[in-house]
Amino acid sequence: MIPGNQGVFAPQSSSGARGGVIASAQGQSQSASFVESVCLPKLRSAQNDDGGWGYRPGSQSRVEPTCWALQALINVAAVEVSSEACHRGLQFLRSAQLPDGSWPFAAGQEVGCSVTAPACWALLSGKNSFEAVAAGLNWLSQDRPQDSVFWRRLLRRLSPARHRSRQNSAYRGWGWNPGTSSWVEPTSVALVVLGLCPKELLPAGANERRQSAEAMLYDRMCPGGGWNCGDPLVYGVPGKPLVIPTAWALLALRRYPQRPENLASLDWLAGKLPDEAGPGSLALAQICLEAYGHKWPATAHRPDDLYSNNEFLGSITTTAWVCLAANSRRSWLTGESGEAAR
Amino acid sequence: MTRNAKTALIPSFQRPVSRVVIRSVASYEQDLLALIYETLCEFDLPLRGKKVLLKPNLVGPDPLGVTNTHPAVIAASRESLLRLGAEQVLIGEGPALDRDTEAILESIGLRHYAGPLAGVFVDLNVDDVEKVLLKTTASRLKELYLPKTVLGADFVISMPKLKTHHWAGVTLSLKNMFGIVPGSCYGWPKNVLHWAGIDSAILDINAAVRPDFAIVDGIVGMEGNGPIQGEPKNSGVLILGDDPVAVDATCCRVMGLLPEKVRYLTQAGILLGHIQPDKIQQLGESIASVRTPFSVLDNFKHLVDTSAEFGTQPALVG
Repeated sequence: MIPGNQGVFAPQSSSGARGGVIASAQGQSQSASFVESVCLPKLRSAQNDDGGWGYRPGSQSRVEPTCWALQALINVAAVEVSSEACHRGLQFLRSAQLPDGSWPFAAGQEVGCSVTAPACWALLSGKNSFEAVAAGLNWLSQDRPQDSVFWRRLLRRLSPARHRSRQNSAYRGWGWNPGTSSWVEPTSVALVVLGLCPKELLPAGANERRQSAEAMLYDRMCPGGGWNCGDPLVYGVPGKPLVIPTAWALLALRRYPQRPENLASLDWLAGKLPDEAGPGSLALAQICLEAYGHKWPATAHRPDDLYSNNEFLGSITTTAWVCLAANSRRSWLTGESGEAAR
Repeated sequence: MTRNAKTALIPSFQRPVSRVVIRSVASYEQDLLALIYETLCEFDLPLRGKKVLLKPNLVGPDPLGVTNTHPAVIAASRESLLRLGAEQVLIGEGPALDRDTEAILESIGLRHYAGPLAGVFVDLNVDDVEKVLLKTTASRLKELYLPKTVLGADFVISMPKLKTHHWAGVTLSLKNMFGIVPGSCYGWPKNVLHWAGIDSAILDINAAVRPDFAIVDGIVGMEGNGPIQGEPKNSGVLILGDDPVAVDATCCRVMGLLPEKVRYLTQAGILLGHIQPDKIQQLGESIASVRTPFSVLDNFKHLVDTSAEFGTQPALVG
């Protein structure tokens, strides 16, 4: 266990892990080769002059794809943080940070949002921006989704529409944008980042915030397991889970591997994968299942199998996730990068 | 300045009569290309050399073909527009709930209908964006970041599915424009729009980017707890028109609902198009002949048209 990071992402020692993590060596080898020959060159060539990456090659630099491209280069391509590509990418992130410590979705926006968590994560991997990370974490701890404030909950209880949803809005996660509601993916990513941060970077009250956010995730789980974006029951009809929110929520809740909700959701995820045709979904699912020591379903595609369909629609984020999924090093997920830098 | 700033907002009394065509279509296996091409020809649209954006409604994996605009309709529309001389016809959508857009495209088989999607499909959720100051103040939103692909298109066609909606009453060509708002700026779902008020946000978005045309897939629609968890409704129609408001009003009438009771449609009828029957030139099948009453949730019972004369309202029949 890494001192200071609360042991949240310590590897599990389940029987599944002993049984051979993820898939065959042949499949891993093919994926690694695909990453080397296709994904990493694509990421390297797509970096913009300002140091950032867009969601597609040649598009505007944005915070989120820059974060994931950096994670892939640092952790998969083993590009030195001091290299020009990383230096410029990290500089782009630092320069995009708003005075209040947050990051905006797009240049020109003056209000921070959920990409603050992945920005902190990327800078932690970059190892030399701890003041910026601390400011970002402080903003996260201060951000209060509006659905959880007292008077909103009171109005909701008095509303004739109160029966339409069963969720407990007293639990506080994170929203996509300030002043809105808590949702599964931004809550999960923020929880992952808080979990892997060195303790001394965490703002006061971070533990209480984490507990409430974890409770929110469990509260929002779809009946039977898995998560959708965060609305599990509408007009009494169970929502259908989605792969990406489920993978993120499971990663965020990984310190409770034996909870029935986690087990049911892992079962749902593994059962869904043979039908899944989205490479981004498959990549995150692979990372998630591996984190829990589960095998990759024999009948499921690997993310790289799907490249010939649409070339990932040019997505930099998907390309980076595929890189991270194919690489067995998980330091970016366990907090070792940030720890090593201190 | 948005793409159609001069024509988006026109008081109803100054706006010319709108044209809406209803085509009876038994199934998706029918020759949709011939049908859509011939129908579009009737409109004499200014498409030659233009960049056209088709905006279907793609919500999520849809094994029953109930939730999303059917790929056969999308592909036939695209091919028709190319035949009519459009220089480029892109398909663009920003799904609201699932950020893995490619998973949705593959699950509905769009590639098999429309051919390779590289260079044809644009994920509006992650497109380059530009700040647009809104021209109306229906909601508290003052500005939106919108995709450059949408803002740069010469001609935008909204292609919704004929569905009821548990919050808005119906989701048709106006509500479908929620999908141009990028998830990479506003999340999955685009919760900012919910907090701004769905009805109000629909108006502000359509005032900023008013679709030039609408093609509604009502061959199989969805009733009840739409837009995702409702029940399939075989309604057997395609509804096309040069005014999205008039198209939506006609759709409501086909669904057995009163457009005048749909809050956002009533307001859209002031500046964005027509909902009054005497301002809509009805072509093709009559409403009465294709009327298929859709069930709605209890909170939208007031939308249901119970009048005996229903279906005979349009005064202008082509």
